[in-house]
Amino acid sequence: MNSNRSKPHGLLAEFHTAADIFEAAMRCRDAGFTQWDVYTPFPIHGMDEAMGLRKSPVGWFTFCGGFTGFFTGMTMIWYMNKFDYPLVVGGKPLFTPLYAFPVSYEMTILLSAFGTLFGMFFLNQLPKFYNPLFKNERFKKSTDDRFFLCIEATDPKFGMDATRTFLTEKCHAAVVELVED
Amino acid sequence: MALGGVVAVATIALFGTLPTLGADAGSAAHSAQEAAHASASHGTADHAHVAVSVFSLKQIAHSYLTAYMFCLSLCVGSLFLTLAHHLFDAGWSASIRRVTETVASLLFPWMLILALPIIGFAWTGNLHAWFKINPADDHALDVKKVLFNPMAFTVMVPTLITLLGLLARQIRAWSIAQDKDGAAHWTSKSRKLSAAGIFLFAFGVTLLCFLLMKSLQHQFFSTMYGVYYFAGSVWTTLITLYLLTMWLSQPGRPLEKVYFKRQQQDLAVLFFAFTVFYAYIHFSQYFLIWNAALPEETFWYVRREVGSWKWVGMIILFGHFFVPFLLLLNQDIKRNMAVMIPVGAWAWLMQYIDMTYNVMPVVHPDGLHLTLWDPIFWIGMSVLLGRLFWSEYQKNPPYPLKDPRLQEAIVHHEVPAPGASAAH
Repeated sequence: MNSNRSKPHGLLAEFHTAADIFEAAMRCRDAGFTQWDVYTPFPIHGMDEAMGLRKSPVGWFTFCGGFTGFFTGMTMIWYMNKFDYPLVVGGKPLFTPLYAFPVSYEMTILLSAFGTLFGMFFLNQLPKFYNPLFKNERFKKSTDDRFFLCIEATDPKFGMDATRTFLTEKCHAAVVELVED
Repeated sequence: MALGGVVAVATIALFGTLPTLGADAGSAAHSAQEAAHASASHGTADHAHVAVSVFSLKQIAHSYLTAYMFCLSLCVGSLFLTLAHHLFDAGWSASIRRVTETVASLLFPWMLILALPIIGFAWTGNLHAWFKINPADDHALDVKKVLFNPMAFTVMVPTLITLLGLLARQIRAWSIAQDKDGAAHWTSKSRKLSAAGIFLFAFGVTLLCFLLMKSLQHQFFSTMYGVYYFAGSVWTTLITLYLLTMWLSQPGRPLEKVYFKRQQQDLAVLFFAFTVFYAYIHFSQYFLIWNAALPEETFWYVRREVGSWKWVGMIILFGHFFVPFLLLLNQDIKRNMAVMIPVGAWAWLMQYIDMTYNVMPVVHPDGLHLTLWDPIFWIGMSVLLGRLFWSEYQKNPPYPLKDPRLQEAIVHHEVPAPGASAAH
């Protein structure tokens, strides 16, 4: 543990307005940083592009979930009503996609939602129990009225002094150093 | 409007051969059986079993009505988008609102004038069978005669179109007034009017499609019908607006500086949402009727399973829902013109087929019979209204110049590409 005490986690820059952090995000993007993120009290329109994020692959998890759900619903009803225990209800056919549709549709939605949620967890490596950011007292304001940008030390372009200069002079931010703990 | 021509040719190419397929002996027998079933279950004859000849007024009237319902859907869809813009106090759609305002304003007087032949056709017994039926002889009509009687039809149809048209014109007039002084109170006035107007819209559109289209088979019941027409209308309007604004924002055209890819994406997303909404509504209507299996309701769909109508139904199921749904699932496709332009033409075709599916089985119970009148009225009316739109649109600024939300539509959500920030 003690060996970690002085190991830097990264630099945390604090901004007062959404416009400032937006501008800073574009500079970080253009400077070629890769291991960094922004933390804001509310979503900022266009931030994805400002950060240069590529399209999220979560949609594929959603699609696979929905696809599975739809066919699970159809197969389940076919199996139960037509194959395993044929039962005539209201003079309707033993199986038709029609009456199986509402259930399949709900299954599509359910498994799409699961796919989205767990896909997002998986891609974000969640749940994660600890992050050095939480040790910083000022960072608590990221849920209130401050905007933060953190460049991590693992970034290949990261250099303690150069990055600090970049953040203070180019992005006009108050910068503090974060350590692993 | 070349679009309409391409679509029409495609329609004829696609369906020109279908009537012969549908006219085989098997389906004719099926049709007779169905007719017997329908009359037995109602105690009334289901009218118009005799196929009509191409040059009869009846054919012309129904082709005209189909085209009219198609064009009406674009007008009411545009009115809805205008009202929704004000109700949500939206920012992103401010720069394209003049387009929807102008299309919606076609309701008065142009759609009103175009509705007059329908009233004439109805009075001469060429459209709605109940104009010539004594309610005392027809229980299904007797219980609905408050709404379905010639006087109510003659008064309500023009009144509703006029009211909706005046609503659209008023909101547009305030928007144009704002172009001059930029005062915010025009926006809040429009918002207040929209709050009341959305009720007028809901009742008006429902009543109009009940009177004009659903009552062609007055025995039918469906609480979904108004929403069904509304969903298809907004769906068609969104893709039309998408392509129209896309065209208007090309270099050198009026929306060049106020319309961006975010708005384009948003329109496509809404179109995608209404693809699902339409399918949901139409499926609900079908499913509830299928499940309840009451002859008073099922006859409407039973009749649409005869001959080639069954395949028209399948085309609506797959073409109106599955194809656009699966195609547009991907985000990036929504801005791919190579896909979206064909999708737009396809959506027009689907909406027209949907209107045909509602109107035409009344005169062609054996299956789909396209006549020359269908493309003539469809293209003719679309071109006429398109020209009227264009001349109206050019008379005023192409977007609300001083709308308080315009800035939001222009600057928000637009992010400079990599490298652009170095200039600061």
